Amino acid sequence: MTTISADQVAGTPTAASTLDLAGVSRWYGNVVAVNDVSMSLGPGVTGLLGPNGAGKTTLLHMMAGFLAPSRGAVSLDGRPTWRNPEVYRRLGLVSEREAVHTFLTAYEFVLASAKLHRLPDPTEAAHRAIALVELEGAQDRRIGTYSKGMRQRARVAAALVHEPQVLLLDEPFNGMDPRQRLHMMELLHRLGDAGRTILFSSHILEEVEQVSGTVQVMVAGRLAASGDFRTIRRLMTNRPHVFAVHSTDDRALAVALMAEASVTGVELGRAGLTVRAGDYGAFTRVLPKIALAEGIRVRQLVPEDESLESVFSYLVEA
Amino acid sequence: MPEPTGVIHDIGYQRYTGPRLGRRAVFGALYLHGLRTAFGLGRSAKAKIFPWLVVAIVTVVAAGLAAVRSQVGETVMTYAQFADNMSWLVIFFVAVVAPELVSRDLRSGVLPLYFSRPLPRSDYPLAKLLALATALWLLLGAPQLVMFLGAAFTTGDGMGGVWNELLDLLPGLLYAGLWAVIFASVGLLVASLTGKRAFAAGGIVAVFLMTTPIVGTLSIMPSRTVNELAGLASPSTLVQGVGVWSLGELLVSEDRGGGDHIGDFGPVYALAAVLLVAGCVALLLLRYRKVAAR
Amino acid sequence: MSTISWITVRGLFGRRRFLLLLPLPVVLVLLAVLSRALGVDPGEWGPPVLVGLGLAVVLPVVALIVGTGVLGAEIDDGTVVHILTKPLPRWQIVLPKLAVATGVTAVTVAVPLYVAGVLADSVRLGLSLAAASAVGALAYSALFVALSLLTRRPVLLGLVYVLIWEGLLGNVVSGTKVLSIQQYVISLADRMSPTGLLEAGVSVPVAAVMAALISVGFTVLAIDRLRSFSAAGETS
Repeated sequence: MTTISADQVAGTPTAASTLDLAGVSRWYGNVVAVNDVSMSLGPGVTGLLGPNGAGKTTLLHMMAGFLAPSRGAVSLDGRPTWRNPEVYRRLGLVSEREAVHTFLTAYEFVLASAKLHRLPDPTEAAHRAIALVELEGAQDRRIGTYSKGMRQRARVAAALVHEPQVLLLDEPFNGMDPRQRLHMMELLHRLGDAGRTILFSSHILEEVEQVSGTVQVMVAGRLAASGDFRTIRRLMTNRPHVFAVHSTDDRALAVALMAEASVTGVELGRAGLTVRAGDYGAFTRVLPKIALAEGIRVRQLVPEDESLESVFSYLVEA
Repeated sequence: MPEPTGVIHDIGYQRYTGPRLGRRAVFGALYLHGLRTAFGLGRSAKAKIFPWLVVAIVTVVAAGLAAVRSQVGETVMTYAQFADNMSWLVIFFVAVVAPELVSRDLRSGVLPLYFSRPLPRSDYPLAKLLALATALWLLLGAPQLVMFLGAAFTTGDGMGGVWNELLDLLPGLLYAGLWAVIFASVGLLVASLTGKRAFAAGGIVAVFLMTTPIVGTLSIMPSRTVNELAGLASPSTLVQGVGVWSLGELLVSEDRGGGDHIGDFGPVYALAAVLLVAGCVALLLLRYRKVAAR
Repeated sequence: MSTISWITVRGLFGRRRFLLLLPLPVVLVLLAVLSRALGVDPGEWGPPVLVGLGLAVVLPVVALIVGTGVLGAEIDDGTVVHILTKPLPRWQIVLPKLAVATGVTAVTVAVPLYVAGVLADSVRLGLSLAAASAVGALAYSALFVALSLLTRRPVLLGLVYVLIWEGLLGNVVSGTKVLSIQQYVISLADRMSPTGLLEAGVSVPVAAVMAALISVGFTVLAIDRLRSFSAAGETS
C-alpha cells in the first residue's frame, strides 16, 4: 500500500467557498432557538462558541441544509443549502450525534461515502481520507467495536472524503482523549491553512482558543460577537483590561502609572504589578514612554484576561 | 503572590437522615409510574395519542352498545363477548404500552440506576407486569361499566333488574382480568427482549396475530381432539377456553350454545393458562437477571 | 447494486432483528403442509391459512418491519445524515430503499404463499398469490417508507392501519375496503386464478388502480418529505 501524506489531502481546494447567513432565525413554537444571525464564513478555521443550549447545533443544522430557517437565508456561494443536495459537493458535515453504521467497517463506511459522492477513484479517496485521520490500523474492523474517539474520526474521514471546501463540525472533540484531541486540532489547522472553510462548534473554550483565533460567539440564540477574539476583547472598552507587568522597579513604575488617565488601578504584588487599564490603546502606547522616562526596564507585559474564557464570560454576563 | 486559598461554602446541603421507605414503597412507586405511563399521564401529548385512541374506541363501542340496548332492547354483545370482540384493540394497546414500559428503560440504559436502589431484582419486572395488567383490565373493564350503567338505568325491572345486570357484569370483569393477565405477561416478555420500541411493537403484534390463524387451521383438522385443543395455540382463544370452562353459563349466552368447542378439555385450558403466565413470568425474571449481570 | 441499496441490505441483514421475520413464513408453510398431509378439504383450510394468516398477517407485518427498517431505523438512530449529506437527488435514495424493502418483503412472503397456494389448489393459484403479494409488498412498502418520513412513530401508525383499519374496520364497515391494500391483493389474486378460496371485497379495476395510486403516491410523498428532511433534536 502506498503511503499518502496527509498534506496531500489538505492541499489547495479548487476555489475558496463562503457560507453566508443573512438574518437567519429559527423558532420552534414559542421557543426561539436562533435569533436574527448574520455572518459570513470564509477560508480558515472559525470556532462557534456558546454555552449549551445557545443554538449552536440549530445553526449548524441550518448551515448544513438539515433545517429550514424560519426567517432569513443560508447560502453557500450564493446557493441556498435548504432542499438543495447539490451543496454537499462542496460541504461536509460531522454531526454531533455519534451515529454511524456500526455494522460496517470504517473502510467500507468511508468507501461508501466516496461512492455516493460519485468520486472518480473512490478507493483511493477512501484510503486517503482514512490516512488523514490515522485510522488505517483499524480500518477493517466493524465500527461497532470502536471507541468514541475512533468513531468520531471515522465520521470525519467520511465527511472529508470528497475534499469539501466547507467543513462543519458539531462538537468534534467530544469523547476524544487528549492525544486524539491534539491530532484533530492539528488536522483542522492544516485544513484551514490550506484555504478551506472550517467551522466547528464547542462549549469548551480551551478547545476553541487552541484551534482558532476567529470566533462566532452565540449566547441565547443571538450572535453576541464575531471576529478575532482578542479584537473583540479590546472592543469591550467598558471593561478594564488587566495586565501583568514585571519590571526592574515595580514600585516606582506603579507610582508613575497611577498618574496616567488610562490607568484605573495598580496592584503591587510579590510577583509584579497588576495593572487595570480602561483604554487598551492608550495604555499600551503610554507604558513604554513612562518606562523610558523613569529609567525602568519592563521585563514582561502580559494581558492577563485575554483568554477566551474571560472574553466569553464578559459576553455572557453582559 | 498571595498563597492560593480555597474554601467550601456551606450553602445548606444536608444529608438525608430521616426514615427511608422500604421495598414496598419502591414497588408501589414503580407500579404507579408504570400505570401512569401506560396511559401517557405525566408525559407529553404525543405519548397520549395512541393509548387514548384505543380507550376512545372501546368507550365509543361500549356506549353504542348501551344505547342500542336501551333503545331497541336487544343485547348485541354480552360483557364477555365485548372483551372477545375487542381483542385486536387489546393487542394494539399492548403493542403500544409494553415497549413504553420496558423497552425505553433498556434503550436508555437506566436499569443500573434502578438496581442500585434497595429494589430486589424481581420487583422491577413484576411491578411493570402488574401495571400493564391493571391498565389492560381498566381498558376492558371501564367500557363494561359503561355498558352496565346504560343497562342499569334503563332496566324495566327495578332493583331486581339492576341486581341481575350486576351479576352479569362481575363475571365479565373477572374475565377481563384473565385477558389482562395473559396478554400482559406475553406482551411484556416480548417487549423486554429489545430496546427498540418499534421492534418490540412489531414483535408483539406478530406473536399475537400469527397464532390466531393457527387456531383456525387446527380447528378444522380431521380430529375432534385436535379441534378441541386448537384454542391452546393462541392467547386469545386460550382465554376464551378458560372463560367458557370456569364461568360457563355466566359467560356464554344460551342461544349460542357455546362451550362444546373445547369439549371436556376445560381443565387443560386452565392449566395451560396458568403455565403460560408462570412461564412468561419466569422468563421475564430470568431476563432481568441477565440484564443486570451485563 | 447501488451503494444505497448495498448499505440498506447490510443494515437489514446485519442485525439480529431480521430473524424476527423468519417464524412467520415458516408457520405459514408448516400449516399448509400439515393440512395437506392430513387430507383436510382445501376449501376449509385455504381461507384461514392463505388469507387469514398469509395475506392478513404475514404480508403486512413483514412489510411493516422491513419497510420501516430501511429508512425509519436510520432516521431513528441518526445514521441517515451520512446518506443525506451526499449530492444525490433524493429519489436516488428513496427508490433503492423502496426497492430493497419491496424485494425482501416480496421474497419473504411470496415463497411461502406460493407453496401454500400449490398445496391448496394448483400451481396457478400459487403463482397468482405470489404475484399479487408482490404487488401488495410494493404498495405496503411505499406506505410504510413514507410513514417513516411523516412521523417519528411509523411502526405504531402502521399497526393502526394494519390492525384497526384493515383488520377491524375492514370486517365491519365495507366502505373501508376500498382503501385496504389487503383487499387489493385478494382481489388481484382471485382474478388471476378464480378458485372460490378467495373472496374479493373490491372489484379488480379498483384494486389495480388503487394499488398503483398508493404505490406511486406514497413514493412521491416520501421523496418530497426526504427533500425537506429536518434533523430534529433528541425528543422523547
